[in-house]
Amino acid sequence: MIDLKSGNHSLVENFELMKGLLATYGPDSFQVLRDRAFRNFSEFGIPTTKDEEFKYLSLRALEEGHFKPAYGATIDRFQVEQTIVGQVDAITVTFVNGEHAPELSSAHILPAGVFIGSIKDGLAVYEDKIVQHIGEIASLKNKLGTSNDERFVHLNTAYLSEGAFIYIPEGVSLERPIHLLFLTSANHGPLVSHPRTLIVLEENSDAKVLETYLGLDGVYFTNAVTEVSVGPNAILEHTKFQQEQADSVHIANISVNQAENSIYTSNNINFGGKIARNDVNVWLDGEHTETWLNGTSVGLGHQAIDNHTRIDHAKPNCNSFEVYKAILGGHAIGVFNGKIFVYEDAQKTDAKQTNQALLLSRTATINTKPQLEIFADDVKCTHGATVGQLREESVFYLQSRGIPKAEAEALLVYAFAAEVLLKITIPGVREILEKVLFEKLSTTQELPEFVET
Amino acid sequence: MMRCRKCATRLNLDFGVNFQAKIYVELVWTRAMMPVASHLMIHAIAMLEIKNLHARVEDKEILRGINLSVNAGEVHAIMGPNGSGKSTLASVIAGKSGYEVTEGSVEINGKDLLDLAPEERAAAGVFLAFQYPVEIPGVTNTYFLRAALNNVRKNRGEPELSMTEFMKHIKSKVQLMEMDNSLLSRSVNEGFSGGEKKRNEIFQMAVLEPTLAILDETDSGLDIDALKTVANGVNTLRSTDRAIVVVTHYQRLLNYIVPDFVHILMDGRIVKSGGKELALELEERGYGFIEEELAAKA
Repeated sequence: MIDLKSGNHSLVENFELMKGLLATYGPDSFQVLRDRAFRNFSEFGIPTTKDEEFKYLSLRALEEGHFKPAYGATIDRFQVEQTIVGQVDAITVTFVNGEHAPELSSAHILPAGVFIGSIKDGLAVYEDKIVQHIGEIASLKNKLGTSNDERFVHLNTAYLSEGAFIYIPEGVSLERPIHLLFLTSANHGPLVSHPRTLIVLEENSDAKVLETYLGLDGVYFTNAVTEVSVGPNAILEHTKFQQEQADSVHIANISVNQAENSIYTSNNINFGGKIARNDVNVWLDGEHTETWLNGTSVGLGHQAIDNHTRIDHAKPNCNSFEVYKAILGGHAIGVFNGKIFVYEDAQKTDAKQTNQALLLSRTATINTKPQLEIFADDVKCTHGATVGQLREESVFYLQSRGIPKAEAEALLVYAFAAEVLLKITIPGVREILEKVLFEKLSTTQELPEFVET
Repeated sequence: MMRCRKCATRLNLDFGVNFQAKIYVELVWTRAMMPVASHLMIHAIAMLEIKNLHARVEDKEILRGINLSVNAGEVHAIMGPNGSGKSTLASVIAGKSGYEVTEGSVEINGKDLLDLAPEERAAAGVFLAFQYPVEIPGVTNTYFLRAALNNVRKNRGEPELSMTEFMKHIKSKVQLMEMDNSLLSRSVNEGFSGGEKKRNEIFQMAVLEPTLAILDETDSGLDIDALKTVANGVNTLRSTDRAIVVVTHYQRLLNYIVPDFVHILMDGRIVKSGGKELALELEERGYGFIEEELAAKA
């Protein structure tokens, strides 16, 4: 633990600077949340590798960095359209360095009661819903586990400001996907932003949400929290695509509450950043739910990509399926920690977890840890972890048909990731991810280094 | 009208209108003979020319001086007992790693193959139908074949095919191989039965149209119906500008793909060559009689 009280760390100092501005956002209850979260964060500080939940992820870059608060940056529409996700056909809400940018968002006629915009604007319509959920879904209070670590959620909550808010009322099925686009431009020195998102799907509703974190330039720290409430019988496909700048730090928490008979799918795609950490936590709060957690990350060079997932089977008769894949080359470090808690009442739970890593170099590392804690006696829980390399005979087979070696290897790497990418149904998104993946692989010299014979 | 004695291709001699005019005879005769001459050139340089090929895996010498010359339009069968080096020969020609060529040369149409990467050999017209086709989960058969075909076309200086053009190109080949259409959208060989895998190999050959095809134990694991389909596919692909080398342990496949020449490979060398009747003799008498013959000579 790093003592933030004695040193004057920018993540703490900023709070004093911004206190006045932050107080202008939201009701008084927000201020209570912020103050409490700030105290919690300052007390525990930035985690180190001595902390169980951060054992394999060094956050020295955060500890040693100095990050200014972000405000006032502007980006023109043309620049946004030129980005890799600029042409995604969706209801788009754009944020620049964490601040809502209505001028870069798209206008659509929405079904009655649907709200898609910022938390700040959403308060005028759905204050009760926002106050009810915010800070609650992302909390691990009263949940199982001895090493629960919420300090980056606290850090985010301390800076709770505009944020993104999606509300789908009862019975509404939204055909058109929603795109939350978080752009970061840090060409005036390192900055920090704390994007906060709340997604509420009421009973019998259906939506598809894409969250994109895209870095444009500079060095920065993104600390995002997304809270999701999936109502009874509701269906949500939630894709997160992280493509931050090469020297940036991305830490994100996605917390989900699922009511009975709901279906939630998370597709967690991580290609960018120097340090990327995701916590995906799903709380099953009703019977007969279905949960799909899919993840793909690609780390090359000196990237570190850490995915922690936890599924709390708190109710009986729920199914969860989890597939996380990591492609690691160069000196990259990958971490997977998959927790599944089956509570005493949660009989007839069916949980399946798979974690696969593809290592492209001798110097890449994967640390994988399935962690199943089961307190019910009539359950089906399986987990499997594999680590492998590209198979030489597969490369040769493709070559023998005329496909050049580099292309053959990229194709096989893509094929490894495909199982996860194929789960994304928002039109055009899979093609974008394929393109980014192939470009990323083709710019590396690391591929041919390590092939299994 | 003339026919080539070797491959029976029709060679047109077009003497044109000036044949009667004596003064032009010499010039016209030369021009008219050009297609014939160039055709004979093809036969002068064998399509596949293997000279004194020695290859080893780690410390074990497997090929110990192979000499083989295969002309365009011919089908050669290479037979031999287990461990004689048949599959090694096929792998060395296709460029599989793990084999060290210590002596000799392999040329295709006069071009040295051994220095080329496997994909360059494919571009030069070499195709190996694998004994054990590899499963590639996550890559559909269609995507894979189109990538392969477009790479081969690029090397031939032909334009790439769009998805629509590609589907048109493969339609007749799908019918030829009696392929189930669903196999096209499935991952390459994943979950295919043994027969489907072998059929898929010949289907790929039909799509890629190589000049030299090597079939490595294509008959192994096939029931009689699948064998007939596969053989029928191969026979359809027999042509005057394509050579086919069939590597097999048993004579059975050669009932359906009738070879022009049969070579017997033993202990890393071709010990006997003959016509198709050699395969029948082998079937009848087993490999033992060759060994006896060799012993008698020694």
